Amino acid sequence: MTLKDSSLIEKKENQKGLDGLLQTKIIETKDTTYRIIAKNVSEYHFTVPFEVHDSERVEVGQIFSIKDKGLTFLARVIDIRHDSNYDGNWDTTFTGTQFFDQSQIFNRVIAEPLGCILEGKFKKCKTLPTKFSLVKRAEEYEFSFLQEVMGDIEIGYLRNGSMAVEQIPVSIHSTAIDHHIGIFATTGMGKSNFMKVFAASCMQLAARNESKFGLLIVDPHGEYLKGKGPVKGLMHLKRYSEGLVCYSIDRKNFSDPGVAELSISISEIEAGDLSVLYDWSAAQRDALEAIARVFESCWLERIQKPDGINKMVSEGFNATTMGVISRRIKNLLEKNRYIDPVRSSLPGIISNLQDGRVVLIDIPRMSEQSELFLLSILSRYILEKYKEESSVEQKNCLITIEEAQRVLGTGSNTYRFETIAREGRKFGVGLCAITQQPKLIDKQLLSQINTFVVMGLADRNDRVHLEESARHDLSSLDIEIQTLEKGEAIVSTLGIPFPVPAKIHSYEVYLKKLEKEGRTDERLVSGGRFKPIFD
Amino acid sequence: MKIIHMADSHLGFSSHNRVDKFGRNQFEEMVYKGFEEAIDKIIHLGPDAVVHAGDIFHNVRPRIRTLYVFKRCLEKLSEAGIPIIIISGNHDAPKSSSSTSPFVIFEGLRDVHIAHKAHYERFEVGDHLFHCIPFCLDPKDYLNEFGKIERSGQDVLVLHGLVEALKGKKLRTIGEHEIKDSMLKSDFDYIALGHYHGQVPISNNAWYSGSIEYFNFGESEDKKGILLRDLDRFEAQSISIRPRYMVNCQPIDCVGLSSIEIKEKLMEICSREVIQNMIVRINLKNVSRPAFKNIDYASFNRLKALALHLDLKVAFLDEQENRSEAIDKSNLHEEFAKFLKEEGECERIPRTIKEDAIAYGTGLLKKAVVAQNTEALDATQ
Ligand SMILES: Nc1ncnc2c1ncn2[C@@H]1O[C@H](COP(=O)(O)OP(=O)(O)OP(=O)(O)O)[C@@H](O)[C@H]1O
Ligand SMILES: [Mg+2]
Repeated sequence: MTLKDSSLIEKKENQKGLDGLLQTKIIETKDTTYRIIAKNVSEYHFTVPFEVHDSERVEVGQIFSIKDKGLTFLARVIDIRHDSNYDGNWDTTFTGTQFFDQSQIFNRVIAEPLGCILEGKFKKCKTLPTKFSLVKRAEEYEFSFLQEVMGDIEIGYLRNGSMAVEQIPVSIHSTAIDHHIGIFATTGMGKSNFMKVFAASCMQLAARNESKFGLLIVDPHGEYLKGKGPVKGLMHLKRYSEGLVCYSIDRKNFSDPGVAELSISISEIEAGDLSVLYDWSAAQRDALEAIARVFESCWLERIQKPDGINKMVSEGFNATTMGVISRRIKNLLEKNRYIDPVRSSLPGIISNLQDGRVVLIDIPRMSEQSELFLLSILSRYILEKYKEESSVEQKNCLITIEEAQRVLGTGSNTYRFETIAREGRKFGVGLCAITQQPKLIDKQLLSQINTFVVMGLADRNDRVHLEESARHDLSSLDIEIQTLEKGEAIVSTLGIPFPVPAKIHSYEVYLKKLEKEGRTDERLVSGGRFKPIFD
Repeated sequence: MKIIHMADSHLGFSSHNRVDKFGRNQFEEMVYKGFEEAIDKIIHLGPDAVVHAGDIFHNVRPRIRTLYVFKRCLEKLSEAGIPIIIISGNHDAPKSSSSTSPFVIFEGLRDVHIAHKAHYERFEVGDHLFHCIPFCLDPKDYLNEFGKIERSGQDVLVLHGLVEALKGKKLRTIGEHEIKDSMLKSDFDYIALGHYHGQVPISNNAWYSGSIEYFNFGESEDKKGILLRDLDRFEAQSISIRPRYMVNCQPIDCVGLSSIEIKEKLMEICSREVIQNMIVRINLKNVSRPAFKNIDYASFNRLKALALHLDLKVAFLDEQENRSEAIDKSNLHEEFAKFLKEEGECERIPRTIKEDAIAYGTGLLKKAVVAQNTEALDATQ
């Protein structure tokens, strides 16, 4: 796009008698477009030609800059409309074989101000640009202020429309994680890819001993460990493998020196953990709670045996109830082979989280109930430990929950996660809720989430539900969210002054970049090793 | 095949300032004696092999007497036709270029297999393969060495370090290395662990045998001894070598107690039966300094002479307030990185070289700290 570098004021003087844009003969077509024509402090309208070259098309999400004396306003396109100088439909009336008057029509772009830059500093706008100010596509250097406000966990690049701005990485602040994170996207839009990128950045920080929190990922799809075909997993990030610890229930991963066999020891299971497994009746619930009191230790083993049941019956509990409980517990132990008489991975999981590593729990093909059961034990244990040791020097912890609507939904009986959502922050424990149906998440819990990563959401109800509880105002971005493509996101988070449009890295590409970048620096530091004398 | 699993003998460890009639440290002699008794018991049990999972010697430069005791025991085993498999641990492995491994002296003896060269080695003994990962130079080496293992179907793994399940119980000795959960594979017939001084199972197939002796008060509640493991039947049997001889008493709250009352309390605990030939620690808390100064120790000291060692640990009333936090030298590089980062933020370091400067400086300092720690460890007696 080329624009004459003439100022509007000069034009005005040259062409006396100017009474608005109606007199098209007075201002050339070119000069009447890309000008602010309306409207107020929270919404700008500007004109663009009704027909442009492909490369000049304006898209929702693009960022424009308006230089107005000492101030530079930045604004993001939220909508584009056909418009004309006439009321009604005059502009689309035919004259002979032609439309009425092409010179009277233009496109109106509606943009939302992001803020303005004054002497290199970014701030919220408390004023609006002068009418007819020139509007240009924002250039990279104009985003540099963003670098200052970015965090330490890189997830992608700034996006201007559908173009990635590679000079400006988008990074979330570690300090925001105990205020919870939500990842929202319709299926296939890139939630899993996002998690891997996020985890990779965490691994990098952990391997450098710079991480500020441990990340727990429980993966029911078995897709994060080694990926599948061309889709890579976290173990492929060899360079920062120090920052990753893997536990699996899948035999085919056991031979890998870097993968531990997941076990939970029987003695670590509490009656409360079983509540997610079945719909217990009130009587069963009472009995369950009592078991642990009746048998001081090994209740899980003893309740499976006839004399265990008898003991409970002699304590006044119904024999049928006890039979059901006993059968269900047997069933549970049979289905969950990782439950072990002695061995436990929990201390290892916790200490790695406290050290700030990424802990991946790979549980492919596990039933949904078993998965929730495991997640529930893990969360309880983490919260207990973090409460207990909140004085000890330990890093915060972020617990990832896939399909979070299952446990954070309205009326779900999984109070444990709700507890974390409500009070985890006190102990440095945050939740990372991933869901494709945000509308099912309890509004109150959603309002506890301070970082939103919103990717394409097709369902209007999902968007409305999110917009109503987001920290930043997302409602104006409705059209953009609707039109987001795979890997494109809006990131609204603490420490960054407005919802940032981002292009999430493709994990496979990011992996290559991480493996490569800055290799020479390392060689500078690590010298040769000494060899002690053995013979 | 039956094996004996033992570890952490710490031959050469001396403590408690009590000497025998030859002027030798009494506890050190006790450690030698315990080891010899264990060897006698082993010969009596007649296993197919003995595995010692690290820290035979308390330090990397054992004295002649220590070496002599150990040699005598090796000879006894050899005469009985019992092979022994040994790995080096964090105490007896060299960590600096100026030290030679003490194990070079025992190399090449018949039926003595020692892995001490900071890398994986395997020995075929009886019908099993013994995969040994001794103390390695870098904590990162273990996974790599572990990756070299090829299974035969009859496999025993021998390791020295702290497993993650016990990480809360960090021993905080310098050079302590961690054993990742991912190395504790369930398809080994047995995993013989060393480093933790209590006898505990970590899983069905992995145990710490524990040490024979009580080396510090943190171990007073530990179970001690050696293990007899039947590799074919997956059974472990605990064999104790000595009766418990360490007592760490419950703290006595001395708030408001006079010197006479404190003394009475002390005498109450220290009955002859309790302390004779024992290592005892009495913990007093909330003690007033003047009261403590005025205690008449005469009769207490007579009793004290009966004990192998009696330790009085006193926490004074006024102590809690003026406790200052010590600088953790092992994290100096992190401190430095923090410092540089702050400096960098004040724009005192030019932006263009900031990252390089911090990376280089931090790396250098880390190396210096590690080198200093390891040298110090080799030098300790
Ligand atoms: N940022 C991105 N850049 C490039 N490709 C991407 C990006 N995000 C996702 N993809 C591609 O889109 C596909 C689907 O992504 P992904 O599996 O992450 O979606 P999802 O939201 O987790 O889906 P589901 O709901 O099925 O779990 C993958 O093949 C992935 O490679
Ligand atoms: Mg997915």
